[in-house]
Amino acid sequence: MATVTNWIDHLSAKEVAGAVYPYVGTEWIWLTIAIVFWLAWTFATASGETEEQEKLARKKHGANDHKSNITEW
Amino acid sequence: MTDELGALTTIFTEFYYWMTVVLMFLIHVGFCMYEVGASRYKHHQHTLMKNTLLIPLVTITWFFFGWWIYWAFPTGPGLAPSIMTESTGLVLGGGFGANELANPTNQLMAVNLNDHIMGVFWAAFLLFSWTAASIVSGAVIERITTFAFGILAIAIGSVFWTIDASWGWHFDGWMLKILGYHDAYASGVIHAVCGGFALGILAVLGPRIGKFSSSGEPRNIGPRNPWLVCIGLFLIYTGFWGFYAACNIPIFNLGPEYGMEGVTFFTATNIYVTPTTLSGITMNFLLSLSGGLLSGYWISKGDPFWTYSGGLAGIIAASAGNDLYHPLQSLIIAGIGTAIAYKLHYWVERRFKIDDAVGAVAVHGYAGVVGLIICGFVLWGYPSSGYSVGSMWVGTDYAPINPLGMFLGAIIMFGVLGFLPGWVLAKILHGMGKLRIPREVELAGLDYNIMEAAKKDEKAVSSATR
Repeated sequence: MATVTNWIDHLSAKEVAGAVYPYVGTEWIWLTIAIVFWLAWTFATASGETEEQEKLARKKHGANDHKSNITEW
Repeated sequence: MTDELGALTTIFTEFYYWMTVVLMFLIHVGFCMYEVGASRYKHHQHTLMKNTLLIPLVTITWFFFGWWIYWAFPTGPGLAPSIMTESTGLVLGGGFGANELANPTNQLMAVNLNDHIMGVFWAAFLLFSWTAASIVSGAVIERITTFAFGILAIAIGSVFWTIDASWGWHFDGWMLKILGYHDAYASGVIHAVCGGFALGILAVLGPRIGKFSSSGEPRNIGPRNPWLVCIGLFLIYTGFWGFYAACNIPIFNLGPEYGMEGVTFFTATNIYVTPTTLSGITMNFLLSLSGGLLSGYWISKGDPFWTYSGGLAGIIAASAGNDLYHPLQSLIIAGIGTAIAYKLHYWVERRFKIDDAVGAVAVHGYAGVVGLIICGFVLWGYPSSGYSVGSMWVGTDYAPINPLGMFLGAIIMFGVLGFLPGWVLAKILHGMGKLRIPREVELAGLDYNIMEAAKKDEKAVSSATR
């Protein structure tokens, strides 16, 4: 739903409405979605990180083993 | 905007802050280069990712609640009445109220044809928040989990520094009224608080494997790439120009603002709405950079890492009063602050076995604290605000700048809002088993899997015939 459909009408109004983004008045919905996304990201990446590090820890590589993996493309 | 002069002033101010944001972005580029340069090869990519991820994490939480906190807490709450509402509670209403300005659901927090300043001012403060989290990031490299760092970055970037800014870096802040606190370019409100926060984390996190010998003697680790560190610090200096400009209001008519009838006086002001000039602070910035570089070179006997870090420490030490100092005062204060920070770094390292990988606690924390204390003496008697002048402890007017108020301010910044929350949060994360990476991963390198996969790819590609 467009907030502005005619700029001439909008800007010549007695009091120009400042907010021109789509769906003015639904800010709480967008905020809720954003917070859910942030929390989901945090939990998902935290468990991924733990899993990856536990896997690597089990291999018990030495402090210099990474040197055999240095690439020379 | 209907009159041409008003429109010009507004658009100039909007563009001014926008430019500072772009310049300050270089601080983060510099921190990324600096940290990667200081870390060892096997940790490079995770070090880079850790510092990169603070950008989105601090940005979204700054939108959710960080900016709101800044505008809600200048009275404490409960410590000194607001000059706008006369209330000592949360500042929640009126033209400068938190719900009016910074509620994430407010229509001003978006493209709004009736407001040109909110977004760029929000962004300038956001870039300060990134810097806050980035300062902490360098100290903890090569052994903290990305999850823990994310939580800590949000805590310092969107909560604790913004509380201290609300208290001591706001024209209505209670620390100005009760203590006479003055910190124009954030020696305390950014640097001391972040240095203290980093120290609190380090006390729980512990040193990198191999940092201390069995007898407790510290060993030097890196930096692996001094050139990258050097370029990184140059970029941080460059971004610091933007930071200084962003701490100012570029044009303000102080006559009506201070209630002086018939007086018109247009000037730039600092964050407290007291007059200064962009011209003067530019000289002070350069002289304090020079004082820090000279002192760093001298005290470290020509060590490049500490010479460059000294430049930064010098600016930080002089920043509290760089809106009013003479340039040569800035030079000397910077030199003193850098020397003390350097000495304290090694003393704390040996005495408490603190492994601060990039010297962040020293450069930001100790130099910031020293800068605040010196500012209390050098600017003793100056008004902390233009709105009124009162005396210390009363709270209804503004106390003058004084050594005791600045000393207490330094304790609040470094200790109360820095070290303490850092230590408590690190303890909680440690208790959850989420603070530090496993020992085996630290030895193998955070990037081991990435490097192993890249080597396999390389072998496959080099043996391919089509």
